[in-house]
Formats: sequence, C-alpha cells, structure tokens
Amino acid sequence: MSKLLVASGLVLVTGPLSFQLRAQDYVDVEAERSGRTTPAAPATAAPASADPYATPSGTDPYSVQPTQSYPATSYGMDSAPAGSAIGAPASAAPVAAPAGGQNMGTLYIQMQQLQQEVMRLNGIVEEQANELRKLKSQSLERYVDLDRRLSSMGGGSSTGGASAAPVPAPSPAGGSGGTELPGEGDAYRSAYALVRGQQFDQAVESFNQFLRRYPDGRYAANAHYWLGELYLVIDPPDLEASRQSFSLLLDRYPDNAKAPDAMYKLGKVQFLKGNRERSKEYLDRVIREYGNTNNSAVKLSRDFLAENF
Amino acid sequence: MKRLFLVITPLILVLSALTARAELTIEITQGRDNPTSIAVVPFNWLEPGAAPEDVAWVVDSDLARSGQFAPVSRSDMLGRPSTQQEIFYRDWRAIDSEYLLIGRVSAQGTQMRIEYELYDVVRQRQAHRGVETGPINEARMLAHRVSDAVYEKLTGIRGAFATRLLYVSVTRVPGGKDYFRLTLADSDGARPIVLLESREPVLAPGWSPDGSQISYVSFESGRPAIYRQNLSTGAREQLTAFRGLNGAPAWSPDGKNMAMVLSKDGSPDIYLMNLASKKLTRITRHYAIDTEPTWMPDGRSLLFTSDRGGRPQIYRYDLRTGTTERLTFEGSYNARARVAQDGRNVVMVHQQNGQFHIALLDLVTNRLQVLTSTELDESPSIAPNGSMVLYATKHAGRGILAAVSVDGGVKFRLPSREGDVREPAWSPFMNR
Repeated sequence: MSKLLVASGLVLVTGPLSFQLRAQDYVDVEAERSGRTTPAAPATAAPASADPYATPSGTDPYSVQPTQSYPATSYGMDSAPAGSAIGAPASAAPVAAPAGGQNMGTLYIQMQQLQQEVMRLNGIVEEQANELRKLKSQSLERYVDLDRRLSSMGGGSSTGGASAAPVPAPSPAGGSGGTELPGEGDAYRSAYALVRGQQFDQAVESFNQFLRRYPDGRYAANAHYWLGELYLVIDPPDLEASRQSFSLLLDRYPDNAKAPDAMYKLGKVQFLKGNRERSKEYLDRVIREYGNTNNSAVKLSRDFLAENF
Repeated sequence: MKRLFLVITPLILVLSALTARAELTIEITQGRDNPTSIAVVPFNWLEPGAAPEDVAWVVDSDLARSGQFAPVSRSDMLGRPSTQQEIFYRDWRAIDSEYLLIGRVSAQGTQMRIEYELYDVVRQRQAHRGVETGPINEARMLAHRVSDAVYEKLTGIRGAFATRLLYVSVTRVPGGKDYFRLTLADSDGARPIVLLESREPVLAPGWSPDGSQISYVSFESGRPAIYRQNLSTGAREQLTAFRGLNGAPAWSPDGKNMAMVLSKDGSPDIYLMNLASKKLTRITRHYAIDTEPTWMPDGRSLLFTSDRGGRPQIYRYDLRTGTTERLTFEGSYNARARVAQDGRNVVMVHQQNGQFHIALLDLVTNRLQVLTSTELDESPSIAPNGSMVLYATKHAGRGILAAVSVDGGVKFRLPSREGDVREPAWSPFMNR
C-alpha cells in the first residue's frame, strides 16, 4: 500500500522515463489487487491508508485508490494527471478537511472501496453485454445461413449463389460424369426432401442408401456434399464423417461445381476439429485456385480467414 | 499556409542553436513489398546561380517515405530530361522505372514557380502536369505540394505531405530543470520552429480544424492551464486556470468548441468550452477518471478514455442523446483514441503482453489490429488523409517519433538529434 503512495508521488515526474515507471506501478498494483480476493483483505489494506490525511498526498483523493493510481500511465501525457499532484493543495478533494476525524476517514475509505467495486462490476457488465451482442449476431448469422440454404433447396431456384449451398436440382453439375440412371433422380429427390423436412438423421441414412445404389450416378457428388453438410447438423455432429464426405467429393470429382464449396467446408471442418493449420491450408487453397472466379466459396473463405486467423 | 511563416512570435521563446539540432531525421524501417518505381529527375533551375532548394529531392524523399514508391537513384538515371522533348522512354524502361517526373523551376523577385510533368513510362504518355507558385522561402512547402499531386494521381488518395507537425521535445538538464519546447515542423520534420520554450512541462498540443491555431497545456504559471495560440499572429489566449487538472484540449470539428478535462468539481471529467462565450458544459459526471477526449469527424460524438469499468477503455459519448457506450473490449488497457477523417478507423494505445503498442480499431467490423512492434508506444496522431499514424516511442533509450501506415505495412522513425521527442500532433489539411 505504501508503494501506492509512492506511485502517486511519482506521477509528478512527467518524463517518458516516468511513463515506464508508472506503467510498471500499474502492473504491480493490479497484481496486488488480484491478490486481494477475500472479503477480509480490504480490511488489511485499510490500516495503511486508514488516515488518508496523514500523508501529504492525502489531499488527493486518488492517492488512496489503488485502481486509480494507474491512469497516470496514459492519461499522463495528455491530460497531465500530474496536475493533480502538482496542484495538490488546489486539487479538489471532496473531503478536504480532517475535521470529521476517524469516522469520516472510515466512511471515506468505505466509499472508495464501494466505488472501486462498482467500477469492477460495471466493467464485467459491459464485457458480458458485449459478449451477448456478439453471440446474438453470430447465432443470427448461423440461422440466416441455414435458412438460406434450406430455402434455396426448397424453391429449386437457388439463384442466390451467396451461400455455399449446392444446386440440388438436376443441373448437369459441371462434368461430374455419370448420366442419370433409372430411378436415380427420384431416389435423390426423396433423400433431399428429408433435408427440407429437417429430418437430418433420416436424410443421412437416405443419402447413404442412395450412394450404395448409385455410387457413380449423376448426383453422387451432390449426395457426398449433402452428407458432409448433414454430418455437421446432426446431433451430435460427426466431424470426421463430414470430413470424409467432403474429401471424397474433392478427390473423386475435383472438377465438380461443388468442389470449391467442399474445399471451403473442409477448411471449416478442420477448424472445428481444432486443426487450425489444416484449416488454413484449405481456405488458402480455395482462394488460390478459385480466387479469380466469382465463386461464393472464395468470399466465404476470405471472411472465415479474416474472422478466425 | 503562407501566413504561417510570416509572423511567429513565440512568447517565452528563446531561439537558440538547439533549434537546428532538434531537427528530425527520417529512417525508413519497413516498406511495402512491391512499391511503384518512379524516377524523380532533378528539376531544371532556370535562373542563374544555384537553386535555393532541390525541389525534386524533397519530392523524392516524400514519395520514398510513403513506402508506396521506390524512387530511382539519381546515379542510375541515364539522362536528365526537363522537357517532354528530351524524354527517351527506353532509358527509363531500361532501369524499370514505371513513372517519370520532370520539372522546371523559375523565380521572379521573391516568387518561385515550379512546373512539373508526370509521365507513364509503360504507356509512353503524360499522366499529369501542374504548376505551383509561391514565395521562394516556401520552396519546400511548394515541393511538398508537388508530392501531394503526384501521390494523389498515382494512388487516388489525397497526399498529406504539405502538412505540418507539432511535437514537444524535452532536453534533460542533469541536476537542473529540463527544457520543454513546443515545436512546429514540416511533415518531414524539416524546418523546425520553436513556438514555446519553458522550464515547466508543455503537454497535449493540438490543432484547430483549419490549421490556423493550436492549443496546448502549459505549466508555465506553476499550474496546468490550457492555451490557444494563433500561428500567423502569435496571439495567445489562456483559456482555463481552474483548480486541479486542466488538460487534453480537443477542438471540435466546427472549431467553435473545445473539449477538455477538468477536475474542478472532483474527479477528472470531460467538459466542453464554447470558445466565443467561454461557457462550460459538463459532459461526463462520474467518479471514475474520464479523460483524453477526441471528436468524431461529424462532431456528433466524442470518444474518451475512462476507467469506469475498472480499467481504462475507450468510450463514446453521443452529444445528441447523452448516452455513453463502451467501444473497446479487446485487451485490458486501451487509451488515448484518435479518429481518422473517415470516422471509421480509430487508433489508440493498446496494452498487449505488458507492452504498450499502437492499435487500430475498425468501428465497422469492430476488429482491432495492433500496428506497431515497438514498445512503450504512446500518443498516436493520424495523418489528415488517414494513411499514416505518427506516435511517440522509445528507441535506443531516447524518446523519438515513429510512424506506421494504417495497414501496418510501412514503418519509419523520425529520431531527433537531441533530447526526447513526444506527443506528436499531425495538422489537418492546410488551406492555401
């Protein structure tokens, strides 16, 4: 505590050197503060400053406030808190006269402690409010993303192109090979209807069946893509299965229209798995290989990189 | 701009040899990966005798300092054209120069005239031409204007070379009282002029929005007081002398008000002073320390530092609604914000791993980016075109100024040859 009083005295020194000193003091003060966590602790701190008027700096209300001795660090250069120290006699201490004696002194200390406590709590409230705001906007984003994907499947008119959602309808997906086999389209559409109906577990089963029957069919790449997506939304998600589905699509149909999306998704899956490096590799690859196209996966990858790396 | 130099009558000023020695020099520490190559050919001086100023060299240095250009060395030039007829493009292609700047300088009486032409070497055509005229003793400023024009032509961003800096230098006197000097210099640190010299601290210099006046805090009366000073007339006015703190003056964008920190009513709070009526309006009312106010460019809100949340963070006060919101959440210490003219980029002192760096907060994306790798960085000041941030830091045990581009890509230092330099304040664009 006495260190604090010294620190506030140092505030006087305005040189850059003192900036360093003061910065250091702040760290020390913080360490002391965090050390004092038990309710009894403030009481032990009190004796040192029990009589704030005993020291020359007692007239400065901030000298007995550990938290407020720091502002000198930054505030120093600009607003010269030094002023409060230099003009110590003039600096308006709310309780300037020692007339009130011990009681006033005690009250004063208590008020200071309360103020500090309120400031600390205020900080926590501000930070939690900010966290909530962030979470809210994130969950809204997720919802919008899913909603867009589902609605693009629904209308079949997925011209939006802003999401990574594949065109589910039978567009001859960019040289994915295979011609449509008898019954394949119906099988695909029925599996797909389950996705629309948000029956994700059944949809997984259905797409797997579809792939067993039409492993080289026209919609095989689409089915792999959907499995990759579905493994992420089932409860609990199966990251490894999702990764395998997207990898399969990428390995087997590198020229498919879904390839960039699958690559982007692999980046996301690797990120979810905690493999940041692998994740970045995939995302960088999307930008490298498709950067000169206006494929939506490129923008998604850029955004994801900017947000998480 | 011209007015600036006519009369500078510092009040407590002792112009000494120290002035010249306090000049800042520039060391570029980091540039861009692929700067544009440009050849700035020495301009042809059309009058007898030696030219009063190497105009082309000033332009050359300006462009190099921006980090976005790599001027061709004069010794590599295969010719020294000063007119279009004298240009052989193959000479410039041979040394991979993408652009070519040539010019002619003439004088009549006390007036100087610079004609310059910018050529695109690849397309073999003129990209821009212009003329700057002004007093000969303003030759460097005229040259900076040429730099501004070239920079704007090639980058699309208004140049900020023809601007000025204010900074405080401190000369230590062992065992005695230090000297504090408030200094005005060109944006490249050249032509320093001491505006105020005092044995007591001088702090927080700042500019009026039109660049004609400055404000600062001086302890010359033994206590802190806020002053404003007209740069062309030298007229000075003491604005405050309240009990306790009088600090951190910040001119409003319309020039009518000044935000400041006063502790006359208890703890430090933000106040507005109407500069015409001197009437005070209290903005914040909190037992925490509220300080370092700075204006958003639209003048509708103020940013300030407060520890009302237990630690110093940046808050925004909306003057219309009277509401306060916290802006910074990353890191346990964010202070002394300054806002770029776009109202989007905010620079501040940010503590990371126990070290103080300059960081940039994008108010649209809410992303915070640490720009500097030096330690103990403080007092960021942003260029009027928003491209560079000037700040004070430590190098080799001395207080120096350093600059970093807002994307962190370009860095340079402006070390002073003597004393510690701090609290830079970059001027607004100057009206001609």
